[in-house]
Amino acid sequence: MENILDLSRWRECPRGLLYRIWVIARNGLQFELRTRLFRWLLAASWFWGVSIAVLCLLFNQSFTTDSWLQNLGTHFGPRIGAALTASKAIVLLFPDVWIGGFFTLILRAHSVLALLFSLVALTALVPRLITRDRASNALTLYLSRPLTSMDYLLGKFGVIVGILGLLWSAPLVLGWILSMAFAPDRDFVAYSLPPLLRALTFNAIALVSISCLALGVSACSRSSRNAVLLWVGLWMILGTVANSPKTPTLLRLSSFSYDLTEVRTGLFQTESVLRAVADIPLLPSEVVEKLNQSAKRSDAPNFKNALCALALMCVVSSVAFFRKLRAE
Amino acid sequence: MKAPPPSSPAIDPNNHEGPFIIETQGLSKSFGSQRSLNEVTLQVPPGTIGLLGPNGAGKSTLIKCLLNLEKASAGSAKVLGVDIRTSNRASRQRIGYSPEQDSHVSNMVGCEYVTYAGQLSGMPFHIARQRAHEILDLVGMGQERYRKVDTYSTGMRQRVKLAQALVHDPDLVFLDEPTNGLDPVGREHILRLIGALRKELGTSVVMSSHLLRDIERVCDQVIIIGNGRLIEHASLAELKNRHQRIIELTPSSQAERFYSTITEAGRNVVRLSNGKLRVDSDADSIEWILELMQTHRLPPAEIVLNPDALHEMFVKTIAAADGKHS
Repeated sequence: MENILDLSRWRECPRGLLYRIWVIARNGLQFELRTRLFRWLLAASWFWGVSIAVLCLLFNQSFTTDSWLQNLGTHFGPRIGAALTASKAIVLLFPDVWIGGFFTLILRAHSVLALLFSLVALTALVPRLITRDRASNALTLYLSRPLTSMDYLLGKFGVIVGILGLLWSAPLVLGWILSMAFAPDRDFVAYSLPPLLRALTFNAIALVSISCLALGVSACSRSSRNAVLLWVGLWMILGTVANSPKTPTLLRLSSFSYDLTEVRTGLFQTESVLRAVADIPLLPSEVVEKLNQSAKRSDAPNFKNALCALALMCVVSSVAFFRKLRAE
Repeated sequence: MKAPPPSSPAIDPNNHEGPFIIETQGLSKSFGSQRSLNEVTLQVPPGTIGLLGPNGAGKSTLIKCLLNLEKASAGSAKVLGVDIRTSNRASRQRIGYSPEQDSHVSNMVGCEYVTYAGQLSGMPFHIARQRAHEILDLVGMGQERYRKVDTYSTGMRQRVKLAQALVHDPDLVFLDEPTNGLDPVGREHILRLIGALRKELGTSVVMSSHLLRDIERVCDQVIIIGNGRLIEHASLAELKNRHQRIIELTPSSQAERFYSTITEAGRNVVRLSNGKLRVDSDADSIEWILELMQTHRLPPAEIVLNPDALHEMFVKTIAAADGKHS
């Protein structure tokens, strides 16, 4: 009988587990990158990252001797020039307060916007994570290979890490590095590093909790529409209810967006920044009072509870994920 | 590198001393109170194995347990010599699986899907892509490979499922109803391919099918499962030997002369409703009937030795097992 199987053989040692997990993550990312919504979000978040760099550059240049900003100020008359010189002197007297405070506010604002971009991106991504794999029985394809459900989970987690990395972490770090590249002295690096680390810590907490939730939601349904509805319900509806001051604390804590807001407030410690600014001498008493009032409002009374709630949500989502994740 | 020359004689499962591609010991699986697999103990030598059983007998459950897609409730199993419990991932490294139901990744085109399947088994991208195209050629997929799998017909989905099961050059392939939904030409093509896997590549195949003729055509061993129990595991030749030998004759004309001539020769003949004659034979040969036809100058006839032997054997075995366990 003539040979009908005229094909090459593959007898090499197969690549390891990390490669296979990477293949799952890369494939998911490639699909996401093809969507128009994600490209728009990517452009917006990188624009925001570059904006951080530009704002920080303006801030840096304000305190450099003979900087273009100071020279520009003198063109608007001696009063503006004097105000700029005075503000420069205050900053040089209290660099920790001003530089740390400026970066805290900028990076906090970035985290608000980046979180929003990430949640919008995840709304489109949630059905593509597990829901569609369940609907098309693709889980059989994965689990009949040398992969376990944990490997599959890590691969899908890699997709979310990639998405949030591109939308959040990378623009943040790039913006900071660019702004530091033009910093006039090392004080800027030293005093902007703690806010950056706090921003990255919040980024990591949000990444883990949102990933677990997104995976859990995606695993709970075999229909894309239901998965999106569940996700939007958890994010927007529960978030709106939790934002009402009359809502009981327990219900507020059940909203992941409320929990993340609490964690962000607690991590960035905006109230200490405002109090430190209020302690600076020479400030008018009205300004000091307003700063103190703002500091009180910036307190995060449920910081630890919010962290615990997020951890609990991760556990519940993982349980849901592993219960649903089986070849059918 | 091209395929090695054929070297795969049929193996008798009852006289084989290893290595075995599948070994199970008291393998059981329960879903709630219902027992889908009941202490299945097997030692399967390499070959092309047909997995038979009525609906709900536990064929798919057995395959899923061997792949660890379902966790066995009790017992142990080794696939290609690797324990499926202690070496979960490694036990599936050189195994391919084409499930019965549709299984694909949404929004992927055919060749992307097969390449992806290869990569999930640890193949580097460029090798996976090359093998994907070769295998898609083999299963008869043309330009359709550049279309999304979601848009495929049932037959195309069967082909692409088979392709993803073979892309990483496995040593053992589980095929669950691989010819379902295929047109006659496609079925013929896929059966030839399955038959050649063992003969030309040395790849063992476990094929579950309701189409007994498909099993009879490509398999050299048969495993029969009923009510979750192992009823029979033997080579196809041995099963046929146990079966009463029958010749089915379809005379082109003079059916009456055929009937009387064979009856006079001392053979038991039965007239079938479709005009065929069913003759009891005592040998696996049709020489004697050819001689009889020549001697009596009988007109030509279509002669089939042991028609539906597997079917009858299957029905009898299942009936006997039902009687035994009722």
